[in-house]
Amino acid sequence: MKYDHDVIVIGGGPSGSTFARIAASEGMDVLIVDKRKEIGVPVRCGEGLGAREVISQGLELPKKCISAEIVGAKVVSPAGKEIIWKDKQTTGWVLERKFFDKWLCELAVDKGAKVKTYTRATELIMEQGKISGVKLSHGGRDSYDARAPLIVSAEGMESFMARAAGFKTVHSLYDVDTCYQYEMKPYDHENLIELYFGNELAPRGYCWIFPKSDRKANVGIGIGGNLTNWKKNGGIDGADPKILLDRFIANHPQLKDSSTLIDFGGVISVGAPIDGFVKDNFMVIGTAAKQVDPIHGGGIAIAMETAILAAKTAVAAHNKKDFSSQSLMPYEKEWKDTLGKKMAKRLLLRKVLEKLNDDDLNHIFNSITEADLNATMEGKFAGSVAKILAGRPQLLKVLGALIS
Amino acid sequence: MITIKHEGCIFCVGCSSVCPKSAIEAVGTRMEHYPERCIDCGICVKVCPANVITLYKGVKEMKS
Repeated sequence: MKYDHDVIVIGGGPSGSTFARIAASEGMDVLIVDKRKEIGVPVRCGEGLGAREVISQGLELPKKCISAEIVGAKVVSPAGKEIIWKDKQTTGWVLERKFFDKWLCELAVDKGAKVKTYTRATELIMEQGKISGVKLSHGGRDSYDARAPLIVSAEGMESFMARAAGFKTVHSLYDVDTCYQYEMKPYDHENLIELYFGNELAPRGYCWIFPKSDRKANVGIGIGGNLTNWKKNGGIDGADPKILLDRFIANHPQLKDSSTLIDFGGVISVGAPIDGFVKDNFMVIGTAAKQVDPIHGGGIAIAMETAILAAKTAVAAHNKKDFSSQSLMPYEKEWKDTLGKKMAKRLLLRKVLEKLNDDDLNHIFNSITEADLNATMEGKFAGSVAKILAGRPQLLKVLGALIS
Repeated sequence: MITIKHEGCIFCVGCSSVCPKSAIEAVGTRMEHYPERCIDCGICVKVCPANVITLYKGVKEMKS
């Protein structure tokens, strides 16, 4: 079969561009297609990213991609108690995503990858029972075929081609958070990510303030997708992300008089990843594979780490000229052994947190210290759980899952 | 049947990511609904952060 490329990557976000950069630098002929007219626009994200993940790739972020440096996090209980927590895990940036995504994509181009914007993959091409390419359309017209022995879905939340390839990428309401966010100004911040918890404030979620440059901040809310606005099916009446966010802002001493500069929103995955990430001639990476942190809904860091694993496997498969699922499996296996284990712990923590009422949350905030919080986020739950249970043994039923 | 009030849409594609039937897709800069695939389940209505999707006719809980 005659191929146009060695691999076609669908989606030019952090996972797609990172994959493409590595695959291209190892000599593969890579085509990235992105449905957007401009890479990185529109932004639909809180824009937070840990420094560790970028530094570990040997990348240095250009200044224009960084809106603010983050030195820690402030978490606030329903009753208003604050814990401020500073460590390596919380050091990072609030990005300018539109510049960040474009920069990552350009790095791939520098390594030889080819990018086509405003180009949508509309269907998979199957030949002799095998996936052998995609039908592409530029701006909704000029449909044409592009063939490659490997298709990579880095499509993000929509993941249409991954669905077409047979992956179960549809999200259930329970496993998504629905979010609304404003960019606001002025907001005088302390370079801390601020997270506000409370079931009335944000059912099964939280409000956040992510500081940005020039006295700006991303102010947003995420709430459980199954809890919104619809009493039937367990929803809460009036639980609309925009309404709740507006209420949070109206009650915030500083933000209540600030202006909104951008409205954005979105739906984030907070559930488990999909079962498998590879099939013959096909890989799924990043948010398309639901590889998103279930606690904070962040996907950029995991996406980039995943893309590195996937690209290494793809390069090895390319060298063997074997793109069977077996040949692509090392990516999936290594992911499950490393990132997957971390994510499973975070998912467990999420499921425990969502069972707690505001009173429990207040108790927890009063029982633990910054160091406990730190250990908890690293997946070491025992110390915090012991302290919490000492004051409120009845929580064992809920928290027991963390120490069993 | 659902309708999308496009002027309020913030183009987050959340609806499309939860639709079990791929009945909503982002086309260009706008969400397109394909009624022939839609099963009126209302999941998109529930998840839309901008509250611009309405389900009507025969689905009582969405009347308000």
